[in-house]
Amino acid sequence: MPGQLSKAAAIVGAAEANEIGFLKEPKSSLQLHIEAIKNVSDQTGIPISKIDGVFSTGWSSELCEHLGIHPKYIDTTACGGCSFEMHVHHALAAIYAGIVEVALISHGENGFSSRKIGAKGRHSYGPGSGDASPASEMTMAYGLGGAPSAYAHAMVRHMHRFGSTTEDFAHIAKVTRDWATLNPRAAMYSKDVHPFGGPITVQQVEEARMITWPLTVLHCCMVADHGGAVLLASPKVAAGLHTKPVWIAGAGETMGHQNILEMEDFTATSARQSAEAAYTMAGLGPDDMEMALIYDSFTITAGITAEMLGLARRGEGFSLWKNGDAAPGGRFPINTNGGGLSFNHSGMYGMPLLIEGYRQLSGTAEDGINGDPGKQTSARTCVVNGTGGTLSTTGTLVLVADE
Amino acid sequence: MAYDRPFPSQGTNTAPFWEGTKQGKLMLPRCRECNRVHWYPRFICPFCHSMNLEWIEGSGEGTIHTFAVQHLPPPAWQKDAPYVTAYIDLKEGDRMLTILRGVDPNKPEDIKIGARVKVEFEQASEEMHLPFWRVMGD
Repeated sequence: MPGQLSKAAAIVGAAEANEIGFLKEPKSSLQLHIEAIKNVSDQTGIPISKIDGVFSTGWSSELCEHLGIHPKYIDTTACGGCSFEMHVHHALAAIYAGIVEVALISHGENGFSSRKIGAKGRHSYGPGSGDASPASEMTMAYGLGGAPSAYAHAMVRHMHRFGSTTEDFAHIAKVTRDWATLNPRAAMYSKDVHPFGGPITVQQVEEARMITWPLTVLHCCMVADHGGAVLLASPKVAAGLHTKPVWIAGAGETMGHQNILEMEDFTATSARQSAEAAYTMAGLGPDDMEMALIYDSFTITAGITAEMLGLARRGEGFSLWKNGDAAPGGRFPINTNGGGLSFNHSGMYGMPLLIEGYRQLSGTAEDGINGDPGKQTSARTCVVNGTGGTLSTTGTLVLVADE
Repeated sequence: MAYDRPFPSQGTNTAPFWEGTKQGKLMLPRCRECNRVHWYPRFICPFCHSMNLEWIEGSGEGTIHTFAVQHLPPPAWQKDAPYVTAYIDLKEGDRMLTILRGVDPNKPEDIKIGARVKVEFEQASEEMHLPFWRVMGD
């Protein structure tokens, strides 16, 4: 039996900033937000003034002021890259409850541009530099830096516990790149788009530059520019639109930890629990899913998450990619846009997951207009999982196509 | 030579730990209610939520839970690369991050999860010595 909230709201539009990828002219995060919001408003025909719920990762007040709107529901949930899946969950509840009719979920993040024009909140290291958090106090002296420096520990533990190999996980990178070569919007679409773009082999993944052993650079997602926005609306509003609804059949969220130090089992994430909640709400299970969109910050993230979502046996998540199931033409497509590994990852990848889920289940093309070119699958059900932090937080959705 | 890598400033609840490091002791927080050691230090026991906590002297022994080799570290550690980071299962329970000593970062296949390690300390300042863990010989 589906839960009461199942299909109480639908994504009725999804659009991105005017330019995404490795932008030649740097843009601010706010600019990427506003462009995407404007585009999704134009796409759906819903005026920005009709948005009465705003969901963003800490940006809501600034966006509302910038847009001159006064919404009834403001959410600033910021738990990392999965936040956007959580926003959908919250908006679903808010719409079901009658609090709002149109909820905006917005993302703008100049992960690449910020290298040129600067960004706030960078960590500064130096002798005697401190932090109020006891976790930082007890970990900052030990040479961890970016995400790969932490995630690699999970991969080593997985290899130890399950006998998996770097080659097993390299298949995830290879197959995900295959999808990117079908998506002109993907940063790694071709050699014309990026010098390292185009198809790759498992051997190339294995032999690429080492970042943190055992993660070579091709086991890691990129850091590019991306802006995206999604509109959810009530069934009544959805019925009057020219865009096709994609129903949120199930949603769930939870977290395991913040610091990876606190991860009891380095080979398991809270996606098991958030997926269970989403499947329960939907009245559906992993066997009913026809595709998946999984936050692939690293190959290990995708592999573990596939296990947590019940799509593969424990310790064997990578097998979905290795045996071709997840690949173009395979039984169970995963990350059809090319993933964070090869499509686009600006720092928080949850929004591209939503946009791709909408595109695949609504038949919308890559440029946001209804049509065939962007639709890579015949799937009508999709499990979506965002992971935030260092395998810390998860938001899971079950999306289904309109009848 | 003065220690020239990043190290923390002392938090509000960790003085016994840093005092211990100067004497070569690994002090660990333990809950008087449930008797469990936790790491990192808390204001409340993360297991039973008691605030009745104490510091005990740990054995300084543990095993490798998992590890990785850092080839592209933050700038302050650039001259050390590659080096091995590891999470250590403490004999008393819970887990601690370290830069692992006594291993060859170019031969990660020789580093064994479950291998026994022992704590050692390096002076970072007048007030603070840092614990590091070293793989014990067979």
